Amino acid sequence: MTEPPTVASAAPSLSSEFAELASGERIATAAAALERGGIRSLLAATGADARSLVSSLLPDGAEVYNNTSQTLEATGIADDIERSGRYQPLRLRLYRMDREMQRREMRALGASPDYVVGSVHALTEDGSLLIASASGSQLGPLASGAGQVIFVIGAQKIVSDVATGIRRIYEYCYPLEDARARRAYGVPSGVNNILIVNKVMTPGRVTAIIVRERLGF
Amino acid sequence: MSMFDYDTRPATPLPVLVGTRATPGAYAIRDFLSRNGYAFEWVDAGQPEAVRAVLGVAEVESSALPLCILPDGSRLATATVEQVAAGLGMVAAPALSEYDLTIIGAGPAGLAAAVNAASEGLRTVVVEAVAPGGQAGTTSMIENYLGFPTGISGSELATRAVVQARRFGAELLLARPLTAVSADGPGYVAELSDGTLIRGRAMLFASGVEWRRLDVPGIDDLLGAGVYYGAGPSEALSCTGSRVVVVGGGNSAGQAVVRFSRYARQVTLLVRGHDLGASMSQYLVDHLSAIPNVDVRVRTEVVGLQADDRLRAVIVRSGDSTGTAPLPSEALFICIGGTPLADGAAGIGLVTNSAGYLLTGGDFASGPGGNWPLSREPLPLETNRPGVFAAGDVRCGSVKRCSAAIGEGSMAVALVHRRLSELGGD
Repeated sequence: MTEPPTVASAAPSLSSEFAELASGERIATAAAALERGGIRSLLAATGADARSLVSSLLPDGAEVYNNTSQTLEATGIADDIERSGRYQPLRLRLYRMDREMQRREMRALGASPDYVVGSVHALTEDGSLLIASASGSQLGPLASGAGQVIFVIGAQKIVSDVATGIRRIYEYCYPLEDARARRAYGVPSGVNNILIVNKVMTPGRVTAIIVRERLGF
Repeated sequence: MSMFDYDTRPATPLPVLVGTRATPGAYAIRDFLSRNGYAFEWVDAGQPEAVRAVLGVAEVESSALPLCILPDGSRLATATVEQVAAGLGMVAAPALSEYDLTIIGAGPAGLAAAVNAASEGLRTVVVEAVAPGGQAGTTSMIENYLGFPTGISGSELATRAVVQARRFGAELLLARPLTAVSADGPGYVAELSDGTLIRGRAMLFASGVEWRRLDVPGIDDLLGAGVYYGAGPSEALSCTGSRVVVVGGGNSAGQAVVRFSRYARQVTLLVRGHDLGASMSQYLVDHLSAIPNVDVRVRTEVVGLQADDRLRAVIVRSGDSTGTAPLPSEALFICIGGTPLADGAAGIGLVTNSAGYLLTGGDFASGPGGNWPLSREPLPLETNRPGVFAAGDVRCGSVKRCSAAIGEGSMAVALVHRRLSELGGD
């Protein structure tokens, strides 16, 4: 496991630098940059608006994987995907599969969902998306395996550039996520993989919904 | 966004089932949820900390078990499969007042028929007593099904087929068995256990078989407490480190052994016949012989059980010996062929052979009650009642293989079209 440069303590003191909502101007700058990189960007005033937008983007009956995400849980989007009956929730299907006997099926299913809904750890003003992952399992589908990708991004995640985005991951996201993983799973998390999406070659494949609210971390 | 993406546990609350391995009814609910692909948490009522985590108190009255906590927080004490199914929104009423085809059973034959019928525009409904997949649905890995060179599990095949059937517009009604069938003009009315009536112009029995019962004293008292019919996926994990016995010589038994060998300390397969290859595909026979913690015993049968509140040992007798020996084991899975499930068939006088399998395609002509009423000959999969067909394991003479059942289910739809043309309006 790759440890971050400074290992977080049990009760980390976190810089407020990465918790502040971006101004309307910075949001607009980031949204325009995303569009230039082939990523459709939508703006939502609230988490509830983002939830409605996601609902309008997912067709009935679609196979959808919801990434582990505080943002999706806080907005009710995870609940819609897993419990509404409108979709085929791939996460539930994978969860009940036999890890010994169906490992290959699980790998194939998890690698290529029709739709993935998730979030990011940082969005730069020049339109790059940064996603960190302990196992890396969600990065392949986001980069190319999934048919469509929808990101829901709280506006506190907007940073000036990639270097600051990486600092946000190590200094802000990791301590919070590590504490959450220890509580939820009894194991530490780790910044083992980082995906940086600068540009998308298939226009329309990736949609980013920027929410003018603090959502997730 | 989380970085911890290794685990795929759902983000939303799961239904929780609290009970003990010996709680009557708990196994039926576990088996039902697991075979329907419904993720749930099992909490052993004997583990105070686990009970406290879900109920807020360390103990639960045994009279309330099995206790089911639904995702909305409501609780079902002494829960039944029917209550849990209803509570989870798995029970739906039929959407139409009449269907072109009513299919009884959502195993491979029924699902194949549903996909073909619905894709060709027939108004199609499937009735399933337990869960999609039938016997094949509990199979850990089918390695000889066309198009899946590395194999596919029965549950995954069933899940895909259900999605496919629904995409074409077929309806699936779960968790209620068929109780009766009656004639309705040229069509038929199926009645389900909750009183639901389904009117269909044609009907297909694809109801399959259930495991034959093992005739051993005291066995019924241990059902769900170490003794299981079939090899339900819900029990595989709980066999970790255990000694498991599987009885049966067919592919289902062989596939169960492969699955359990991944978890259990030791798996013993008991076969009454003297040659495993007589009833099991050779690839499975070869596979079993290569697994170090699998012991195959031919010419061996179960003659008794040792138990306290759950199974402790299986008493076996081998070869021509009159002596018996205990085989210490925590779980016994019985996969010994089938008894046809043709409930309701009697209501319209369907003819069966002496074992209860439905006769089709004129095989019934010489038997009692086989008076064929039409001037044309019966179609190949048609029973002695015009417009009522049979496919898969429940049909007399069928090949007891998943791929054969899928073939029959698909073929039946072509014959249903001919019957509907006869009635007009197809």
